[in-house]
Amino acid sequence: MRVSVHFYSYFKELAGSAETRAELPEGATIADLFRQLAEKFPKLDAMKKSTLVAVGLDYQTWDHILKDGDEISLFPPVQGG
Amino acid sequence: MNRQLTLTIERIDEAALQAQRKMSSGMGAAIYFLGVVREAEGANKISAIDYEAFQKMVEHQFHLLFDEMEKRWPIESVRLVHRVGVVKVGEPSLWVEIVAPHRGEAFASCQWLIDEMKRVVPIWKKPIL
Repeated sequence: MRVSVHFYSYFKELAGSAETRAELPEGATIADLFRQLAEKFPKLDAMKKSTLVAVGLDYQTWDHILKDGDEISLFPPVQGG
Repeated sequence: MNRQLTLTIERIDEAALQAQRKMSSGMGAAIYFLGVVREAEGANKISAIDYEAFQKMVEHQFHLLFDEMEKRWPIESVRLVHRVGVVKVGEPSLWVEIVAPHRGEAFASCQWLIDEMKRVVPIWKKPIL
């Protein structure tokens, strides 16, 4: 399956890009996606503990199973106000 | 509960917003919170903050918070304005109004909303020196 990934805040600098695409096997989780992204963008790897993940517009956990066409967003802790 | 959410690149006009306040006769409390950009971010003196928002998710997450507020407190209305883009030191970045029957629920819900906003609403700050 193919998914799209969007980066926000300083994650864009760490990835060197605001978005990318990934190919994953069926049944892959967000944790699987992050492992693949960390290989492609090594600076992201150290941020895993503080990374927030959304699929569409809702937060999800690392064990969330992805599906074809999902739009995933990765970003650091939020700071509104 | 009436709700109004605005993300804007324009300066927050407090007087104009307050002039638009609507309160029914059963309401006894209207409270306001203003978040203002400070001159220091950590140890650094700054001139402004550049706010970045994941706009669609911001709107979705705020509406989830408003849904929860409506369950917890008998609030008549909430209006919230958050700036995006560059906000200079001394300018407001956040304006909140809550109208409720009594001050207790107005203060409590406003505190809760802002605390939750800082936990789940995808807005980020980039200080400008």
